[in-house]
Amino acid sequence: MKICVLIKQVASEDSPLLLNEDKLTLKTDSINFVSNEPDTYALEEALQLKEKNDATVTVCTLGPESSRQVLKDALAKGADNGIFISDDGIDTSSPLSIAKTISAALSNDTYDLILSGLQSNDIGFSQVGLLVAEYLNTSHASLVMGTEIINDKSDIKVKLELENGWFQWSELSLPSSLTIQSGINSPRYATLKGIMSVKNKEVKEYTKNDLAISEDNGYSVVEKFTPLKSKETTTIQGSADEISNQLVDVLKNKLRIVS
Amino acid sequence: MTFNTIEQIALFAMLLLSIGSFSYEIFKRFVIVSKGTGSFEFDSLGIRIKRVIVEFVLQKKVISQRFWPGLMHAFVFWGFMFFSIITLDHFSIGFNFHPLSDNFKFFYGILFGVPWAIFVLIGITSLAYRRFITRPKYLGDKISYTSGFVALFISVLMITYIIDFAYVGHNSTSLAMKINWWIHAVLILGFLILIPRSKHLHLVLSPINIFFKPILSPSHKPVPIDMEADEEELENLLGSLDKLSKNQTLDIFSCVECGRCTEVCPAHRGGGTLDPKNHFILNLKDHLLSNQLDAVNKIDVDAGWECTTCQACSEVCPVGNEVEKSDEIRNMQVLVEGNVPQEYQKIFNNLQNTGNPDGAMSSDLTNELPAFDGSQEYVLWLCCFAKYKMDPKFTSSVYSLIKILDSAKATYGILKKEQCTGEPANRLGDKLTYNMLMQANLEELKDVQKIITMCPHCSVNLGIEYAKYAKIDYEVYHHTQIIEQFINNGNIKVNKNNAEKVTFHDPCNLSRMMGEVEAPRTAVKSCCSNFSELEENGKNTLCCGAGGGLWWKKETGGKTHLPRAQQVVDSGAETVVTGCNFCFGMMNQGLGPLLPEDKAPIKVKDVADIVAENLQ
Repeated sequence: MKICVLIKQVASEDSPLLLNEDKLTLKTDSINFVSNEPDTYALEEALQLKEKNDATVTVCTLGPESSRQVLKDALAKGADNGIFISDDGIDTSSPLSIAKTISAALSNDTYDLILSGLQSNDIGFSQVGLLVAEYLNTSHASLVMGTEIINDKSDIKVKLELENGWFQWSELSLPSSLTIQSGINSPRYATLKGIMSVKNKEVKEYTKNDLAISEDNGYSVVEKFTPLKSKETTTIQGSADEISNQLVDVLKNKLRIVS
Repeated sequence: MTFNTIEQIALFAMLLLSIGSFSYEIFKRFVIVSKGTGSFEFDSLGIRIKRVIVEFVLQKKVISQRFWPGLMHAFVFWGFMFFSIITLDHFSIGFNFHPLSDNFKFFYGILFGVPWAIFVLIGITSLAYRRFITRPKYLGDKISYTSGFVALFISVLMITYIIDFAYVGHNSTSLAMKINWWIHAVLILGFLILIPRSKHLHLVLSPINIFFKPILSPSHKPVPIDMEADEEELENLLGSLDKLSKNQTLDIFSCVECGRCTEVCPAHRGGGTLDPKNHFILNLKDHLLSNQLDAVNKIDVDAGWECTTCQACSEVCPVGNEVEKSDEIRNMQVLVEGNVPQEYQKIFNNLQNTGNPDGAMSSDLTNELPAFDGSQEYVLWLCCFAKYKMDPKFTSSVYSLIKILDSAKATYGILKKEQCTGEPANRLGDKLTYNMLMQANLEELKDVQKIITMCPHCSVNLGIEYAKYAKIDYEVYHHTQIIEQFINNGNIKVNKNNAEKVTFHDPCNLSRMMGEVEAPRTAVKSCCSNFSELEENGKNTLCCGAGGGLWWKKETGGKTHLPRAQQVVDSGAETVVTGCNFCFGMMNQGLGPLLPEDKAPIKVKDVADIVAENLQ
């Protein structure tokens, strides 16, 4: 059984985000880059499935040179091999383009299961895992809270999170691509043996050119900016009726949060 | 009294059986201890001998922590000392050999024997009353029948001695006196069989254990990690992590099960599950006795994560045990099992990526202060706590120290590439990250002679822990030590203007690990006229709750930081001074919620603050 986990390198939550003059890319020297936290739950789920089902785990990332670190971390935690897709332009790529590139790289092999975090902590489109399912023609599920390989490794049972604390168990046929909800497990820490073993593990390398993917975002990013923090206080005065009328007016017409 | 051949043969056989059994049990444990890692050290002989005299002969730790029971124990122990000569004489008589004259025995008995027999009787009766009637919880829930037997044995021994003494010089041939003699002899021989099989083995092992107790506390062995090591070296290293050292193994057989370690443990007192007596010592005993040496695996993992590594347990132990084993269990969990609480994984990743536990990328303080260029006398080691404002209030304490340094006309600079000493990684078991940070810092410290740090965790790591891995050429001073020097040498002049009720909280790293309790007091007393001590102070301080990486722990079973804060509130102090940024932060967090509403807030200050405020 073969499992592939998609992991993205993102800025840590506490990193200061400063834009370069192009207003499109971030100043990387002030950023502490880490593995996207939701993806670490996907990796842990894959490693636990590996222990139960005798599988191999491949980790795949797409991004600039610095992203190799997330592969190293995953390999140290117990993944068997890696795929590194070099792409300096990930900041402005669409999820569709990213999914297309990753799918092309993964199509060189056949995976029974592709796991990724529900979303990335930077852009947060929550789409790549599901788009990969479309490109590779696999079943898919999102918001996965539990997994169990069944029927002699031909199907997978998944626990899905619904609204209001409800859950639903579904069975999907393999191959499948699942996006994993955070908190599903407790990600492990890399052991010393694991860290030492990284140097002996294979990482396949691709560039976009190797994969012959044409950049087709379907949109382009014009500008990035930090949301302006502003405070505006208005005092509404008058009788109770006047106040309530004015308040409704503000909510309806100015803030447009009621219709 | 004379003994016929049959009696002598019987006595000889009983001696053989008793001594044989005793020796067998001791030998069995000796073999196990000898399989421990490391070796027993004989360095600092003077300190070791002094320790045996103070702690074993004079029973200092036994008495100081629990005065009355301690004194009763001392009565029994000192009584035993006086009885050794009487016991030798007693068994010699069984072979019709009389080494002591009746005259000697009479005067010895009057002067020592009988008074001490009475002291021992008072002692053992009080101890038995405490153990079986009062039953303090730290002695454990289970009733120790062995202790009951021992109390009875000792009492009867004393009574039979007194009876025997009453007839000294009478040359009595009565059967009653002979029976009295035999009861005394059989009880001693029975006791000898019982000793090694019970906690009473401490009678034999405690002086040895106190002698060999490591001079450094904690003395956990270094775990040097070479990333280029081959597989075999790696296996050897990992294979050694679950083994206890010779010292630690001897500790477990020496334990007297008094529970002092648990009684002082801040995690335990804060409501956590950690119980050092059982988790770090007694739970490992059977495993060792079955000749399995991988005892670290038997330590409760969750309890191990609760430890603040404050060393209170090791400090208080009356038989010289180094109790704390969180280092060993955490090394195993991190390096071998990969089982690490999520918040600690984040710290380790931050340390690896950014060189500080908070993952911060810049520090205002670093940009502001002068860089060390080799021309200054001191490197001012900032510590991430101050650098990245882990408690923003502490920044002003750094400026207080700077004011003092300037006033003393001392020259100093900071290392722009200072990284975390690795203390959290070290205490939390990530020795790989620790090695990495240590190497980087040692490189920066190559040309440095003197370091001042406000953080005693940094002092301990730079000065004591690094020295376990590499030769260091610099001297490390805690800032309170430098301030004391300045005051004593007249480099700074301080007014005794503070008339508030001021108290001092000893940081564990400063008092227990560095052994420094005087310097901060000299500094505080130089400017405060109304100084008073907290209930637990000096080397017997109570941890603030932040040590051992617990500063970063989101949730623990208990509230480790509250017992100390409560003591500060109860002391009625208006200002609590401390000498550690972590303690400073913990006090700020802990005091507020505990204060009664009608009371003014208690001010938290660093030693540097209170001295700087009162500079002339």
